Amino acid sequence: MHKNIVLEVNHLKQYFPIKTGVLRRTTGRVKAVDDISFEVHEQETFSLVGESGCGKSTTGRTILRLLEPTEGDVFYNGRNLLDYSKRDFRKVRRDLQMIFQDPYSSLNPRMTVKQLLIEPVLTHKLASKKEAEKMVIAIAEKVGLSTEQINRYPHEFSGGQRQRISIARALIVKPKLVILDEAVSALDVSIQAQILNLLIELQKEFKLTYVFISHDLNVVRHVSDRVGVMYLGQMMETAATDTLYERPLHPYTQSLLSAIPSHDPSVKKKRIILKGDVPDPSNPPSGCPFHLRCPKVHDRCKIEKPIFKESEPEHWVACHLYDNEELSLQP
Amino acid sequence: MNSILEIKNLSIDLVDGRKTYPVVNDINLSIKKKQRYGIVGESGSGKSLTSLAIMNLLADSLKITRGSIVLDGKHELTKMKKKELRKVRGHDISMIFQEPMTALDPLYPIEHQILEVLRFHFTFSKKQMRDMAVEMLKKVGISRPEQIMKNYPHQLSGGMRQRVMIAMALICSPKLLIADEPTTALDVTIQAQILDLMNELTEDFDTSILMITHDLGVIVEMCERVAVMYAGEIVEETTVAKLFSNPAHPYTSGLLRSVQSLGNRTQSLYSIPGTVPTPKQQTAGCRFASRCPHVMPVCNSSPPFLEIGNDHSTKCWLYAKEGVVNA
Repeated sequence: MHKNIVLEVNHLKQYFPIKTGVLRRTTGRVKAVDDISFEVHEQETFSLVGESGCGKSTTGRTILRLLEPTEGDVFYNGRNLLDYSKRDFRKVRRDLQMIFQDPYSSLNPRMTVKQLLIEPVLTHKLASKKEAEKMVIAIAEKVGLSTEQINRYPHEFSGGQRQRISIARALIVKPKLVILDEAVSALDVSIQAQILNLLIELQKEFKLTYVFISHDLNVVRHVSDRVGVMYLGQMMETAATDTLYERPLHPYTQSLLSAIPSHDPSVKKKRIILKGDVPDPSNPPSGCPFHLRCPKVHDRCKIEKPIFKESEPEHWVACHLYDNEELSLQP
Repeated sequence: MNSILEIKNLSIDLVDGRKTYPVVNDINLSIKKKQRYGIVGESGSGKSLTSLAIMNLLADSLKITRGSIVLDGKHELTKMKKKELRKVRGHDISMIFQEPMTALDPLYPIEHQILEVLRFHFTFSKKQMRDMAVEMLKKVGISRPEQIMKNYPHQLSGGMRQRVMIAMALICSPKLLIADEPTTALDVTIQAQILDLMNELTEDFDTSILMITHDLGVIVEMCERVAVMYAGEIVEETTVAKLFSNPAHPYTSGLLRSVQSLGNRTQSLYSIPGTVPTPKQQTAGCRFASRCPHVMPVCNSSPPFLEIGNDHSTKCWLYAKEGVVNA
């Protein structure tokens, strides 16, 4: 089964300068995204998970050039997105949409739903104003908003409905790839389920590819085909969802999964409690970024950074435990 | 008399100009000594307001209209004077909040903030208090307490700040610790650390916990008993084991179905249709009726809170028949 690669991220780096003093001299760099690579196949959902500050959102923003990357390439259908001029990039942007976590701040409060939905159609010159109105009604119905509701303002809606508006606004231009940055994280459980179902339905109907960014491991398991686990700006492991959840290789993934609270009191999970906090990304540890907290740490991890490689077919991991040639050296 | 906190018929109204809207409606709960009690509900269910009412920290626009909150069988908290209350807060009952950064004062080092609690309730010497503070910080798992004491809140990570909050809350060995979404702002690996710590410490300090959360997983990890709140009312109250094995109220079973169907990609997620009614959308009868799959004509009048089995109560007409037969 060979699938088309829609998006290919190669050695992407996003460093933010730290400026101090009156002269705003650059005194250091925060390595928010540090050399990550992954592929996204056509019509699949690829999820990026990790704790706050691991760089998952920065990755999403960098792909869409909301942030200009420090280094690396992003190929969309074989063409490097970073080679486009700003003006040409706008045309491609129609195919690539983004949905954010907070529907309260991502919708202009002075525009009605109708205005909000028409705006992207006119910006991309996809239809005349009259046709655009028809498109608005069609997409509103798809996401579960009634025709009367489209003349209201965002503040008149609940969080779940506002997220429906954001989804409609992203999908009205008929994108191919949608980046969802914590799109359901701010919603209550019962509403979250409604929105997730909607997203899954729409993906099938419009043949969308999703890059799903989330910290919620239960939600990620539900929606994804493949998952990438990030830690401190680096990719630690990528695999198919079931493989990752059932046979995680990286000690970080193992402890992350064991920390999810169970929803069933009769099942007592054995948890791996990690020591300490996530290190400061402006001053990352040497060697493996996880070695300070890793329960399986050995001397080599402190000095040498593990290479991200395919340890089993379709299962990539960055950990010295799986360096085959070095296996004999391990205690 | 072994309950540490007894809430009877508590109702809270939101006053908006001349209108009032009920936001918490006639709730009862009783927390025993050393018990870990959970209140679970979605945003707007009134769970946080209930906890603020216990501490008497409600905003001016919110008024307790009815009911009593009794601590340790003797203190009626709703009728206490401000001065008396200040002796109870921090000493008998303490509270930790969701966002430790807003609960800690950014202008003072940690030492000052921990000692403030002690200075207020006791008359120890400064040296004694410092020793107590260092000891407490060690107990919450802070490895370099002397150095942390000199730090300001912004210099600490989220998990560390929450540890400091827990240290401050437990330093007077309170009888009751109210934890309002203590781990919601934290990452899962840090959440696991903090829940573990809270479990350990409350054993050591003989403290009861009232855990307020939206996360059923946290309830499973932490609590023995649980009350489910929906739109200002308690709709179900029982042990955690019973709630999960045998949920009675349609809202509870819907909630459980939607979290438990997560992860099974072959099926679509179970979701409860509709949205939570706001306090301003008052309806006669059951607050859940518009979203309920089992709605009946009788749901137009408010359902009674019924005992449906050993240690298991719910507010739903579905169980009324049996209740009538029993009576």
